[in-house]
This record gives sequence, C-alpha cells and structure tokens, in this order.
Amino acid sequence: MLTQWSRFRSSLFPGALVSILLLSFASLLFFILFISQDDARVTQFDPRVWSLLKFTLYQAFLSTLLSVLVGIILAWSLAHQSHFKGRSLLVALFSSSLVLPTLIVVFGLIGIYGRNGWINQLSLYLFDYSFGSYLYGLVGILVAHVYLNASFASRSLLHIFESIPKEKYKLAKSLNFTTFQRFLYVEWPALRPTLLSIASTIFLLCFTSFAIVLVLGGSPAYNTLEVAIYEAVKLDFDIAMALKLALIQLAVTTLLVVFSSNFRTNLTNLKTSSTHIPWSEAKHIKQIQMAIISLFALFFISPLVVIIIDGIGADFGKVVSETLFIKSFFTSIIIATVSSILTVIFAVLLSDTKRNFTLKNRLEDNKFSKLLNIIVSFLGNLYLAIPSLIMGLGFFLLSQRYEAPLVVWSTIALLTANILMSLPFALSVLSPAMQKTAQRYDKLIFSLNLSKLQRWVYCEYPYLKSSLGYVFALSFCFSLGDLGIIALFGSDDFSTLPWYLYQLMGSYRTSDAAGVALILLAITLSVFILLPRLFRGTDAKHN
Amino acid sequence: MIKTIQLLLLITFLSITSIASDTKPTLTVYTYDSFTASWSAGPKIKKAFEKLYHCNVKFVGVSSAIGALRKIQLEGKKTKADILLGLDTSIAQTANKTGLFLKHSLNTSKLDIPVVYTDKNFVPYDYSYFAFVYDSDKLKNPPLSFEALAAMPEDFKIVIQDPRSSTPGFGLLLWIKEVYKDKAGEYWKRLAPHILTITKGWSESYGLFLRGEADMVLSYTTSPAYHIIEEQKMNYKSADFKEGHYGQVEVAAILKSSKQKVLAKKFLAFMHSETFANIIPTANWAYPVVKTKQGLPKEFGLLTVPSQMFLLDGKIVEANRKTYINEWLNAISR
Repeated sequence: MLTQWSRFRSSLFPGALVSILLLSFASLLFFILFISQDDARVTQFDPRVWSLLKFTLYQAFLSTLLSVLVGIILAWSLAHQSHFKGRSLLVALFSSSLVLPTLIVVFGLIGIYGRNGWINQLSLYLFDYSFGSYLYGLVGILVAHVYLNASFASRSLLHIFESIPKEKYKLAKSLNFTTFQRFLYVEWPALRPTLLSIASTIFLLCFTSFAIVLVLGGSPAYNTLEVAIYEAVKLDFDIAMALKLALIQLAVTTLLVVFSSNFRTNLTNLKTSSTHIPWSEAKHIKQIQMAIISLFALFFISPLVVIIIDGIGADFGKVVSETLFIKSFFTSIIIATVSSILTVIFAVLLSDTKRNFTLKNRLEDNKFSKLLNIIVSFLGNLYLAIPSLIMGLGFFLLSQRYEAPLVVWSTIALLTANILMSLPFALSVLSPAMQKTAQRYDKLIFSLNLSKLQRWVYCEYPYLKSSLGYVFALSFCFSLGDLGIIALFGSDDFSTLPWYLYQLMGSYRTSDAAGVALILLAITLSVFILLPRLFRGTDAKHN
Repeated sequence: MIKTIQLLLLITFLSITSIASDTKPTLTVYTYDSFTASWSAGPKIKKAFEKLYHCNVKFVGVSSAIGALRKIQLEGKKTKADILLGLDTSIAQTANKTGLFLKHSLNTSKLDIPVVYTDKNFVPYDYSYFAFVYDSDKLKNPPLSFEALAAMPEDFKIVIQDPRSSTPGFGLLLWIKEVYKDKAGEYWKRLAPHILTITKGWSESYGLFLRGEADMVLSYTTSPAYHIIEEQKMNYKSADFKEGHYGQVEVAAILKSSKQKVLAKKFLAFMHSETFANIIPTANWAYPVVKTKQGLPKEFGLLTVPSQMFLLDGKIVEANRKTYINEWLNAISR
C-alpha cells in the first residue's frame, strides 16, 4: 500500500495548490468587498428582491427543464442516426452554442422569431397574418436559453449514448424490446447519473443570465437577481447591498454547484471503439428521428444565417482598418490564447488530483476521499455562481489597493475571469476522461514504473488529445465572447472585440457592428469546429 | 507557439507604455466610451486642444457616464482623472454629493441653451432633447403626444431603456413625471401594453428599432441627423410631442484631486469655444452650447425642435430618484 501511495503522491499537490488558490481568490473577492463597504449609506433591503429571486428561480427551472428535455430527444435522435451527411459538422456546431457571444445570439434569434423576423414575414406573405411580438417576455427568455443550452446538453448526452456498451443493445434486441423499452431499460439508466450534473450547470447558467433577460424579458417583472446587483453597484453605488445580494445568490446556487461538480463520474460507461449502435431503426422511428434533427438544426442554424446576412453587407475594408479594431482584435486573441492555455493546465492538474479520490487502486477507501473530492469539484465550479459584476468590482477594488499600471490589472482581471469561467466546463470534459485513462492504465503504468513525464507522453496525452483540443477551443471562445469584466476595465488602451462591438452599436454604427459580429462569429465557429479536429488528427490509430 | 505569444505580449506592453513617455503635461478626461471612439468627438477635441495648449489629452472611456463617475468614486483620491465629462444634469447632483469636484469660475449665463442651468461645479457643453424616433416609410401617422401614444392600437410597440441603467431611460421617467405629475404612475400603466421591451442601454434599443422590431424607440431629436448626414437616409424622424420634450444637458467638471487644475480650467473654457462647438453636432450628434459663425450643419434644419424644454432641478431629481423609480416599477411590472 505504501509503495503505491508514492506512485501518485506527486499528483496530489499541484491540484491541491490550484484548489487553495481558487478558494483564497474567492475569499479575497468577498473580503475586499466586505472591507470596502461604506457604512454611511445602506439602502433599505428592497422587498422586490424576493420577487426577483422567485422569478429568477422560476425561469431558470423552466429553462433547464426544457433545455434538458430537448437535449435528451436530440441526443437520442443523433445517437441512433449516425450515418447521415454532415452529422459531425452538425454536432460540432451544436456544441458551439455555449460559447457564442450572447448579444450576437439574441440579435440572431430576433431576426428569426422577432416581431419583424423571418417567421412573421413569411406568415404575413403567405397568410397575411403576423404572430406579433410573441417573443418578448418569458417566451423569449426560454427560447434563448433553450437555444444556448439544449445543444450543449445534447452534446454531452450524445457522448453518454455512444458510450453505452454495445452488448447491452444486442441483448435488448434479442429480448425484442420496443423503442420505448430500450430507452427505459438501456439508455435511461446510463443518462441518469450525468443528467443531474448537466441540469445543474444549465440551471446556474440560466440563473445568472443577464443580457438575454434584459433584451428579451420585456418588463421589469422578468428581471433577474443580477439586475438588482447591477442596480446596487451602478446606480446606488451601494457596495454593502451588492455584497448582500451576491451572498444570497451564492447561497442559493451553492447547492447546485455541488450537484454540477460532476463528482459522480460513472465508471461503467467506457466509450467503446465503435460509435455505431448495432440496432437499425424501424422506418417510422427513423423518420421521427431525422425530423427532430432537421427541426433542431433549422432552429439552431437560422439565427446564425441572420447574423451572416446582416454582417456580409458591412464595409469590411473600413472595419478592419480601424486602429481600435486592430488593437481589440489582437488583445482579444492574445487574452483568449493565454487564458485557454492556463485553463487547460489548471483543469489537468485539478482532474489529476481529483481522480486520486475516486479510484479503487488509489485512495477511494480513505474516509476523507469523498469529502475532498467534493471540495475540489466545488472549487472548480464555484465561479459559475459568482456574478461577473461582483468579480469585476472585486478586481477593481483590488486594483485600487495594490497599485500597478491599469493595463497590467486589466490583463490579470480578464485572464483570471476567463479562466474561472471556463474551468467548470473544462473540468466536466477532462475529469471523466482522465479518470478513465487512470482506471485503465494505472496498474500497467505502476508495474512498468513509468515516470510522471513518461506516463504523460505515452499514455495520457494520446488519449486526452481530443479532449484537450476541445477544452482549449471552449475556453478560447468563452474568453473571446465575454463582455462581463471588460465593462469595468475597458479603455482606449485596452479593449476587446465584444467591447468594441458594443461601442459601435452605441454610436449608430450598426452596419459596422454587424460586420464585427460576423467576424466574431466566424472566429468562434472556426476555432470551435477546426481546432478539436486538428488535435484529433492523428490519434485515431491509438484507439 | 509559447515564444510567439511571449513576443506578442511584449509588443502590446511596449506599444502601450510608449504612449506614456512624454514630457508634456497630460490632461486625463474620464467619459463614456462612445465619446472617445475614433469617429466620435473625443479624438477631434483632443487634437484641437493639444495644438492650442501644447499638452496631451487622454480620454478614458467607461461603459457609461455614470460608470465613469463610479470609477472615480472607487479610485477616490488616487484617481488619475482631471475632468469628468458626460454626466447629464439629472445625475450631476449625485456627483456633487460626493464632494470630489471643484468649483468652476466660468460665467455660464450667456450659454445658448433653451433653459437656464447653473451649477457651482458642472459646466454644460452640449444638449439635446429626448424623443421617440420612428421610420416615416413605415409609420405614416406617428403619435404626436403622450395621449396619442397611449391611444395607439394594441400592436403598436415602442422600445425604451431601463431608467436604472440608462440615461435616456431615466430621462423618459422624468419627462412623463413632468407632464403627468401625480398621474405619472397611471400613465405608465396605460403605456405598458405598448412597450415591446425595456433594454439595459440605448444601444440594444436602437438596434431593435433599426431591425424593425419596434415602431418607435426612445432616443434623441438629434438622432435623425446621423442618418441624414452619414447615411443619406431621410426616413428616420423624431415625433414632436406637443407637451414639450425633456432635455438632456451634458456637463463636465474638474476633480479636486487634479494635479492639472490650470489646464483643466482651460479645457472647461475650451468647451465654450467655436472650435468645440463646431465639432459637437456631427461628432456627438447634439447641439453645442454656443452659437458659431459657421452655424449648425444645414441638415440640422430638418430636425424637429420642441416647443418647450423641460429640465427638472437636479436637487429635486436626486431627492426623489428612488421614489420615482419605485413608482415606475410598480406601474410597469405586470
């Protein structure tokens, strides 16, 4: 036992260090806000806050329910239809929804479903009838949330479908299961463990959603708690109040963060070499599945087409020759590159530590393992629950206390925020994958006495390559589209593409703005679709 | 890969730090971001002022004017700002209460503004009127009063901004308060069915309007000037409400903590020069506060000019801000 301990001891400390860093940073944020409160002005705690909280919970619950439902149906259809043209591109496209800049998505959705959108125009043309402004209000919030999250859910669930052992399908088939029985007895048990973690992540994203709710919500009755925080920070300049609200939000979401931490990695689901499910569907089922896929593809792609059509008319020569555009472009790309590299490193270190607690031949039997695993996962996911406005404010107060050039602080703030934001998603991808490699190869590696480096080069890297590429792309795009922290730190010397886009929109330059939106979309999509492929390129033989 | 990143980082750092190495005095002006954009007033004003007084002007653009104020408050005595530019009169009083601003010694009584505005710290530099803008190709008979607006058919939609986060949004709140006094809440209830959505800032609203989502958008009487001059589009117009329009007077003040007070005072005076006044109309899309020989661009003659400008006293606004906003929230939340 002792000799085994020495084999993975070195993997405990780096991750532990990262965890401690994460924890101390969160405490620092709240501490700096706490000591910066101004006792002289404490606004009354508005009873409206409770109704905001109620609505926030309500819309997040509905959004999550719908997203997960749509996600399951879509993943089910995709899993059983593995042979149509353009499938892999479609799947890649779906998984990009999470990282598309929100404001761009909102305007794309409006172009289709809005009062003057394609659906209404078509219906006016064909039937002389317009559905009017149905999009604004709870409907709009739900549509946008389903748009962004259902495709994310379907990507993760598709993975689960594909890793159901093929023998189970064969057995089910020989037992003459109906499609429904097959779902109930073969597929559902595999989905259930991950569902909770996916649902809580989506819930958190919807809970803290800000831009969507403010554009599509329609009325202050449909505001979220983040709006109250915004009001406290910006309008009343009441840091004490903002702190209170942030703590309420944190309290509500903490439970979910624990759930979303993905600590129950299901080990029975090892992805098998062939993704093809040995069960050819009955004709009518096949038709239903293809219809579902087509419908969702239409729902998903049409808003993107709107953005492309809007942007294509822009004067690109003029747009790209603006000094501020060039500056923003390079700042964005550099920040995104650095933060995604760091995210990948942090996620690897954390997952490397985490797997010690869940593997039989490591520390699973230790009585503290379960707790430690939850703590590490919790810290990795913590920042889903901290409002970006609060994080920005915290950074700003820090930058006041510890003097350094603004550029340095802006860079640090943006990098940190981007890393913290993408870490939960990075972990949810890498952690199960690293768990898997360790479970499969620990005994072999330990018996061969491979060093840490050898282990990484010969065993881990070939297997993790495609996951690493995906995580890199994910965090790159996250950071590229973010408009949270930059709002407090942006200036002429330091601006990013989304910030520049917003500036164009704020000074009547709508056609230039549409051009920049298209550029941003093009970068996001190409990074997201091409990068994981580049990483995947050569590893096919290793499997 | 890592090497190139390092190199790129180094280049950005160097290019940024090289700007600062200069012996001329630097005047730092905090303002809202669209003022500093390369196509906007900031760069032109910077050039003219630097030439005149042999100095550097550095504009720092924050996402909104109130954001710039909050930034200064957070920075406290250590702020690098010499001047805060871009607040409007309804929020200037909030800024005065912080005690961070210096008395100006300019005579503002002769300025060319429809209403008299005097403040011990803040000096006006441009103004406009809040107004509903519409597309005359699509809307032939726009409502020309608040009553007519509320009486429009159910599917007539406007898009406005949240008074808690946006200056025009708060302007509309005061506008309706000034017209309807005690009945403002009741009017908002009647207006509510016509509100398509309430956005955080002006940009989202205007974007929705240009996409044809709403029939009218809360903006400024000077907004059509942009479409006429820059895009040669004549179809965007502002509805001239017979009750009169609420005004937005934009102001600037010097920070007490400024180390460039002499230069800063020159800047405030410069805001009332002909050079400055000639830049404002087509760069900030507003009226300058002094008349110039050159006069306004001829396209400004096509704009509607309200018969009356409302402007509530800053102290009253500051004292009642919370009450007004709560009244609005209660009326509008269904």
